[in-house]
Amino acid sequence: MKSRYKIVLLLLGVTTLFAASLALSQDKFRLKPGANGKICLNCHTAFQEKMKLPFIHTPVKKGQCSDCHNPHTSSHGKLLAENASRICLKCHDGIVPGKARSVHKAAADGECVKCHDPHAAKYRNNLLLAGKELCFNCHKDIAKAIAESKFRHKPVEQGCLGCHTPHASTGADSLLKTGVPSLCTNCHKADTPSFKRQHMNYPVAGSRCTSCHDPHGSSQGGMLWANVHSPVAKKMCGQCHLDASSADALKVKRPGFELCRGCHADMVNETFGRNQIHWPLVDKVSCQNCHNPHASRQDGLLKDSMKTLCNSCHRDTARRQVASLTKHKPIQEGQCTKCHRPHSSSNVFLLDNTNTINVCNTCHAGMQHSTHPIGDNVIDPRNRNLSVDCLSCHRSHGSEYKFFTYLNPKIDLCVQCHVEYKR
Amino acid sequence: MGLCIAAQSFAADAVKLRLMTAVYSDQNGGALKRPEGVACDEKSLLVVADTGNGRILLYTVSGEKVMPKGTISLPQLSYPIRVQIDPGGEILALDGKSRRIARVTSAGEFKGYVEPSGIPTPGTVIPRSFKVDGQGNIYLLDIFSGRVLVLDSSGKYQREVPFPQKYGGFSDLAVDGNGIVYLLDSVEGKVFSAQRNATAFTPLSGSLKEDLDFPVSIASDSRGRLFLSDQNGSGIVILGPDGSFRGRQSDFGWKDGLLRYPSALAVTEGGNLFIADRQNSRVQVFTIVQ
Repeated sequence: MKSRYKIVLLLLGVTTLFAASLALSQDKFRLKPGANGKICLNCHTAFQEKMKLPFIHTPVKKGQCSDCHNPHTSSHGKLLAENASRICLKCHDGIVPGKARSVHKAAADGECVKCHDPHAAKYRNNLLLAGKELCFNCHKDIAKAIAESKFRHKPVEQGCLGCHTPHASTGADSLLKTGVPSLCTNCHKADTPSFKRQHMNYPVAGSRCTSCHDPHGSSQGGMLWANVHSPVAKKMCGQCHLDASSADALKVKRPGFELCRGCHADMVNETFGRNQIHWPLVDKVSCQNCHNPHASRQDGLLKDSMKTLCNSCHRDTARRQVASLTKHKPIQEGQCTKCHRPHSSSNVFLLDNTNTINVCNTCHAGMQHSTHPIGDNVIDPRNRNLSVDCLSCHRSHGSEYKFFTYLNPKIDLCVQCHVEYKR
Repeated sequence: MGLCIAAQSFAADAVKLRLMTAVYSDQNGGALKRPEGVACDEKSLLVVADTGNGRILLYTVSGEKVMPKGTISLPQLSYPIRVQIDPGGEILALDGKSRRIARVTSAGEFKGYVEPSGIPTPGTVIPRSFKVDGQGNIYLLDIFSGRVLVLDSSGKYQREVPFPQKYGGFSDLAVDGNGIVYLLDSVEGKVFSAQRNATAFTPLSGSLKEDLDFPVSIASDSRGRLFLSDQNGSGIVILGPDGSFRGRQSDFGWKDGLLRYPSALAVTEGGNLFIADRQNSRVQVFTIVQ
């Protein structure tokens, strides 16, 4: 009995405290009676028009401007009561789940106003624009590709939210509502005769559809990616895979490069005829380390842009270029094959030419360094086994010095050889 | 007190390398050209894969001196990239172009290729690197089939250990005196290990990418320490037996003691470290100083 009395007292206390704090927060600026929701508009008259829009943010509608703004002072722009990247989370916490697999960058960065008007808007959810037009505002490359496509994916015409979630996805990459293929097979039933016929009776229901198809649209039949591997285009799956009726139909006939050599014999033979091979070409994954065997948006059926692809293994080289004071254009643009051969080479660093000077002269033909001796006959004073070439002074992937010299040219570089001038 | 012990312990483990000598030429004064492979036995034989010149060079190590001993040029070894010496004194060399391992005598006679035999699941074998242990067993980094193949000296299959599920790209392996096999993941900057007769590799280190760029060679010493040649970072990284980072030695440069895109390295019981300083077209010899 005594304990029950204590609990009642405790509950009463908590309720009183809660009610008091609520009242305090609602009137923390001690506005005059009836001023709430009106006093700000006395000066911010343009807001009257805004308030006529069909979708008004709830605090605005209630006249609770001080929920987001401090009327007196603030450490944040627009007198916001909190950092602009966090203020929305005061009420909309959880919009990006902690275990999200993919997050919209704008949401991750707290840039909610890229899509939403914090006060009022013409469109539902206070969106700045309706449907896909809003998304295309930033994703211009996708918009352009779709506009140029001969065949467009119907849900894309209706808007992006048929497949994507706007803030974050807990279950899939690329903000997809669910992973591929389950997202696709929601509409494209894999057990229908036409689906089976289109896929040559291969059991592709569990395969990643986007490894062949552009989910937005394409000018290729079947909405395949822009570049299609010839056997796929000809529906000759059996050229690489076991027969569609076999138990392990998706398995390829031979492992690694041995499969590709069947058609690309000349290329493989030429590759193997050089001294140095790019080792991933002969590993377990082989050609598929870099190429998509079915279709790709990239030329040469590359899995990704050359920059992304090469940098995925050569991250240290990519970092060097990012940190470099002077950027080397081919590297910056991801044109690795301007200097390197991707499959094999008889030259060090898989370079395209035996002579480093010739590699550089491909682009820098006008810069013959006529005043500084370079070439096979010019011995490097630092090392009798080396001759002076471009790489004697320049680090082609970048350095902390201008024109990516290895060392500071004003202090250390030249005096490496010209020791008599060393201070 | 605890801090003091830790500091003492670390000091005891600290490793430094002191340059002993740099090897620039063969017995005729001919220059080395982009050597990629190096091996040394306990009987003072140093073997260098003089890759750019397409030949094998032999030297004798005596005290702090390295003296040219001979040259092996064979059509079967037009582009040697890795070399090892077996307990019988024969030289095994991996040719980068044919991707086969040739066996030659120290007199330069070609004895044949190492042909793996008796493999339970036959298939293509592509060695990226290899090592020979004290019994003459050959540990072959077969990147095509994703495994380390253990063969006896005649090439007969002994066992295999598959690569781990997740990795970036393996470029070298090492075997220590206890039969522990180490795998070097160049892309992820990680070392995996497998105890003697283990059936799987497990990570020995986490990613070492903060301490190195792109390691391409690994060797172990009698204390269980690991030495990694950081090709793109131009340095030598030392790990403890547990895979912990113990230090980094040398730096990028042309002068003796510095490295430019080094390739293979080898460590002897006597405490010498040999490294193929590829872009400097020389081999450098360091003494491991405690």
